Amino acid sequence: MTTAKRLETIEDVLTANGVSRRTFLKFCISTASFMALAPSMSTVIAKELLKARRPSVIYLSFQECTGCLESLTRSYTPSVENMIFNMVSLDYDDTLMAAAGKQSEEALDTVIKENYGHYMMVVDGAVPLGNGGVYNTQGGKSAVQILTDSAKGAAAIVCVGTCSSFGGIPLAHPNPTGAVPVSDIITDKPIINVSGCPPIPAVITSTLVHYVTLGVPALDAHHRPLAFFGNTIHDRCYRRPFFDEGKFAKTFDDEGARNGWCLYELGCKGPTTYNACATTKWNEGTSFPIESGHPCLGCSEPNFWDRNGSFYAPLAAGLISSVAPIGEAAGAGAAAGVGTAALSRLRNRAKVRQRATEKQTSKEE
Amino acid sequence: MELLEFARGPALKVALVVFCFGVLWRLVGTVLLRFHPHLSVPRNGFFKSFMLGLAVAGSRSWPYRRFIVRTGYGEALGYSYHIGLFLVILFFAPHVLFIKSLFGVSWATLPSSIVTIIAVVTFTLLLAVLFRRLAYSVLRKLSNFDDYFSWFVTTLVIVTGLMATAHFGARYETLMAWHILSFDLLLIWFPFGKLMHAFYIFPSRMINGYFLARKGAPS
Amino acid sequence: MSAQSVNATTAGKVRAMPADLQGDLSNQARVERAMQSFAMDYGAMTALRLESCIHCGMCADACHFYIATEDPQYTPILKVEPFKQAYKRESGPFALFFKLFGLKQRVSAAELENWQHLLFDSCNMCGRCSIICPMGIDVAALIEQARRAMFDAGLAPAELYAKARHQQQTGQPESSSEPYLEMLKAIGREFHVEIPMDKSKADVMLCVPRTDIEHYPKAVAALARVMQHLGVECTFRSEGLVAENYGYYAGGRDWQRRISLRLIEQALACHAKVLVVPECGHAYTALRWEAAELYGKPLPFRVLHVTEYLAEQLEAGRLKLHKAGNGEVTFHDPCQLARKGGVMNAPRQLMQALGLDLHELENSKAFSFCCGGGGGVLDIKRAAPLRYRTMESKLREVDDTGAGTFLTSCSDCRATFDDAKAHFNWDKSTHSLLEMVADNLG
Repeated sequence: MTTAKRLETIEDVLTANGVSRRTFLKFCISTASFMALAPSMSTVIAKELLKARRPSVIYLSFQECTGCLESLTRSYTPSVENMIFNMVSLDYDDTLMAAAGKQSEEALDTVIKENYGHYMMVVDGAVPLGNGGVYNTQGGKSAVQILTDSAKGAAAIVCVGTCSSFGGIPLAHPNPTGAVPVSDIITDKPIINVSGCPPIPAVITSTLVHYVTLGVPALDAHHRPLAFFGNTIHDRCYRRPFFDEGKFAKTFDDEGARNGWCLYELGCKGPTTYNACATTKWNEGTSFPIESGHPCLGCSEPNFWDRNGSFYAPLAAGLISSVAPIGEAAGAGAAAGVGTAALSRLRNRAKVRQRATEKQTSKEE
Repeated sequence: MELLEFARGPALKVALVVFCFGVLWRLVGTVLLRFHPHLSVPRNGFFKSFMLGLAVAGSRSWPYRRFIVRTGYGEALGYSYHIGLFLVILFFAPHVLFIKSLFGVSWATLPSSIVTIIAVVTFTLLLAVLFRRLAYSVLRKLSNFDDYFSWFVTTLVIVTGLMATAHFGARYETLMAWHILSFDLLLIWFPFGKLMHAFYIFPSRMINGYFLARKGAPS
Repeated sequence: MSAQSVNATTAGKVRAMPADLQGDLSNQARVERAMQSFAMDYGAMTALRLESCIHCGMCADACHFYIATEDPQYTPILKVEPFKQAYKRESGPFALFFKLFGLKQRVSAAELENWQHLLFDSCNMCGRCSIICPMGIDVAALIEQARRAMFDAGLAPAELYAKARHQQQTGQPESSSEPYLEMLKAIGREFHVEIPMDKSKADVMLCVPRTDIEHYPKAVAALARVMQHLGVECTFRSEGLVAENYGYYAGGRDWQRRISLRLIEQALACHAKVLVVPECGHAYTALRWEAAELYGKPLPFRVLHVTEYLAEQLEAGRLKLHKAGNGEVTFHDPCQLARKGGVMNAPRQLMQALGLDLHELENSKAFSFCCGGGGGVLDIKRAAPLRYRTMESKLREVDDTGAGTFLTSCSDCRATFDDAKAHFNWDKSTHSLLEMVADNLG
């Protein structure tokens, strides 16, 4: 990729690839609507996008499964998103690039040097800190070192996937490698988290487009673009009316499940999961997990692997592994009751005796 | 640890432990005190008195017609918000799931929209209850911290529950955490305040009823 | 012995009221004695009653003192507030917390003094609150326990204290122009009826309300006449004439016991099978329900109210009655007999046998409002204005029945109504059911 002829702006690339203006505007409109921007913003996006200098992008992969990249590259074929992605100058991606070994390390150094202060960094995967970071090394350098070095000259960092955003599965209990999210290491750069396991492709591309044209989008508390992570799955779920009616599937093969009733009781984490699955859906808007009959796992949320006890435990359930201590408490309470009752009896008897003695003495007087 | 996790996990556990510990303590600590012997010749024998005492446990649930003229309003208010609370607690699907997760038992539920309406009505009734306590001189004079705090924790659970269902004021998981935390608070307060009447009501009616019946006195 | 309190601060939630004090005790000693005394009757029942209250205020709706005045301090359960406070602090399961964190203050002598008005002047111990309570709390039982504590702390109303003291010493609550024994004999002469006295053996022992001796001699004669008619072996005992028990009113546990023992001993001495309690409500409570506990074992004879006894005789066919010509009557159920003692049918059986057309009061039997004089209130002078206020609706109820004759079977109720008759210029006299029975013996 670095060997290809450099095309300076996105318009150059679009023209070179024969993308019609109509297709391009359609993309801008859909991006604007994805991002919940005003319709007029699509022309702004179009204008800015055409002018934009193709940003140089470094794509770093650490503790990850490549699912996020798979999601991004293989989903829509052919698609504008895909082309746009080609159009950013993806100058380093050790999964996609032809170069390998020493050559690729040199490429990274070159990109950083040439675009210092301007390149965008996309990170995929968590970063292990355990044992000096030995659990993930590339070319003899640990992940944390590569990340720190590369981040110095970056304009912004987009964390793609839950692993780089929140630590994801590597961070799940017992976290043997000491994995942490990028935000734990880099604190002086704008970070945009596009979480999900994997994230929705359109969410990734739209976020990139927004960054290229209008800068860092509005973010939520977890640094995720509000446009995609502003509502819960539950809020926008097509099965929501069943929840409101109190109609629930109790097992995966009961009548409720066949009728497409709410999966709350089967452990759906939709109510506490912020993502665009229910609206944007997957595979060109075909479906999303709940639509295919499985409860939401809450994969775009921090700590999703551990936090709810089980994927199949309902959200309302208490997170108590055993009720035995409660029984013990009841026993102890009863014992305390016996104790205070005995104490009360003793004190009472003392009072009665004291009164009796007083009476005796007053009589003797 | 997130707030919601804390509310559903350790906080809930502590609350349940305090609840069970306190309730048993207070009940046992009262009932195991001395029962003074009654030596007068009873008008009704043990069995009859016992059965009449049992009957009192039910019959005091509604005042004698003679009294209703004066007590009707308070009684109706008290009844309706208690019923509202029971319906909301026992027939809202997430609550049933909560109970199921703890004790493994579950039952049919009401549609969430209906539960929401009931909860709103119950909340309104609770406001009326507070207003009555403040406005009616007898209640104002009788009331102490316990009365107001018990009202507060009960109402807090309803309010946070409603906010959570309406997604009002904060993110859903935060609201749900508040809701569960306020329930945890209620559990912890339960044994120490007047909420204990839930456990005292039937023993108190029965035992007092028994002694009235023993004398053949109306109960 | 008795002095007006100078310590009338506004302790607690109620208005400061003048209180009578007995004995020369420090404030601290008073409070300690009150609590020691409360401890004597304290047990699971007390605890259950004090723990269960939910402050619903419904007891106020049963209480004639509240209904008449709408003054919230007359809410029945509030009348035991100091003892509730002390219980939470000293004896309850969570006393530790209450004490440790100072959640309940120590009860002060000033508070107890203020509560004298509530526990004595404004409570007839009629038990109406005990049957309205949704938690089933027997409020009247708590009041009785609290009265005993007040008495031991030297905080009983002067009149009740004096009468109880006099009665436990002499057998008479007050000295009279001539001893009751002589008055009783004079009644026999006046009404031409034999007064059986001091027989060494009798099936039935009789006693008499001193109210009857002093104000209603005809009722005394009626008792003797009915017994004569029945032909049972019966006797009064000169050592145990008076049915009333001022120890019970005042809350003097020991004096109540001594006064009851006098009657019990006399009943034992004449080998009585039945002790007939005359027309006196609280004497019935004292002898029927409380004497055995103070005696320490079950009484070896039956205790019956005179209406109960007569109803039994009626059923057995031994008592024959004419139809009385009074027509429409109404009847006041004395609290201690009906609501607290379970004697509700016996007087009605008698009235039926007399062929009376009974028009029930709006609130009768279990719901009967107290005459206003019960629990010793009639004897407390300063309580009179309040008592009259509570009586207004009761008198109205009697009027509303439209019945020409007003009956009851408790001489204290009767005295209270007759006192109100003078006060209000009420047009009705109160009659004794027993007298009516005696007038219509078949």
